[in-house]
Amino acid sequence: MTDQPSYRRRVSDTAAALRLCLWCLLAVAVEIALFLSYRGHDSRFHWFTHFFVGASAALLIMAVVAWRQRWPVRYPLIWPILGHLIAMFPDILFAQGIAHQRWMDVFLGHLNTHFMPGRNLTWYLVFLAALGFYLAVLGRIRRPLPAAALGAR
Amino acid sequence: MTITRHPPTGRGLVAVWLVLAVGLGALLLVAGVAEGPLDDADQARQRPGVLDLAPLPTSAVPVTDSVPRSGRPAVVFFTSSERLDGLCAAVRAGELDADVAIVTPAAGPTCGTAAMVADPAGRLAATYQLRQPDGGGPPVGYAVVDAQRRVRYATLDPTTAEHLFEVRTMLAAL
Repeated sequence: MTDQPSYRRRVSDTAAALRLCLWCLLAVAVEIALFLSYRGHDSRFHWFTHFFVGASAALLIMAVVAWRQRWPVRYPLIWPILGHLIAMFPDILFAQGIAHQRWMDVFLGHLNTHFMPGRNLTWYLVFLAALGFYLAVLGRIRRPLPAAALGAR
Repeated sequence: MTITRHPPTGRGLVAVWLVLAVGLGALLLVAGVAEGPLDDADQARQRPGVLDLAPLPTSAVPVTDSVPRSGRPAVVFFTSSERLDGLCAAVRAGELDADVAIVTPAAGPTCGTAAMVADPAGRLAATYQLRQPDGGGPPVGYAVVDAQRRVRYATLDPTTAEHLFEVRTMLAAL
């Protein structure tokens, strides 16, 4: 005989995993598009710097928000993409014919972050630390939710 | 009634971290391996897109009698004999609003109105602050000189001919 609650939970978990996969695919597609958008710069180097910097900043903010609300942030894949877009915004301007200027460091240190000692390897490690921090926060939060609220998710 | 629903924990979180660490680490490694011998060993200095990156600006030494000259910006391309045809075609089609000189290690054919200069010893590239390519040999790239005959931008760029709009962008920023 089928264990109904267990079956429903499995179906629900599978649906949630599929939804997450779709979000992951969408996020990967967006990042590939951003990589290909580098006409004005060497994408191999610049994409990595701004992805690591933007995503790291986003992950730190996500960790604070998650900790405060005692629940993971909604749409967790959108935050790093937004961080990346902010960090690389001067490169979008460059592709439109506007050269970089010093003030563009307001976009998450767009110019100076390239000159970090260790270059992209350092930013890779910073990203891993930020990701680890966010995941550690997720691992520590618990919040009881009303059933009605769960139904709305 | 309340139901306690937990965010993912334990092995799932570690798996997410590991997948991203390995995946992005592998991509970073591939990007490093993909760099060619004519690229700058310090990628931060290749096509940075900003004027006056130290040690610039510096005085531009004459490449010819008329390039560079006061009152008119100039672009000095440094290229190899193998890349000369492609660069020449791009420069002809590119309509740069500047005087143009093309420096090659050996004397080459003419290229429209661009001044052609042979520099076997590579001294000009050094005075224009072009860095040595990762694989050694003569640098391939370009320098942008302003109307006051100062070098404001210099970068290695083995693929200049494919994106000459970038040179126009840097000229417009002077």
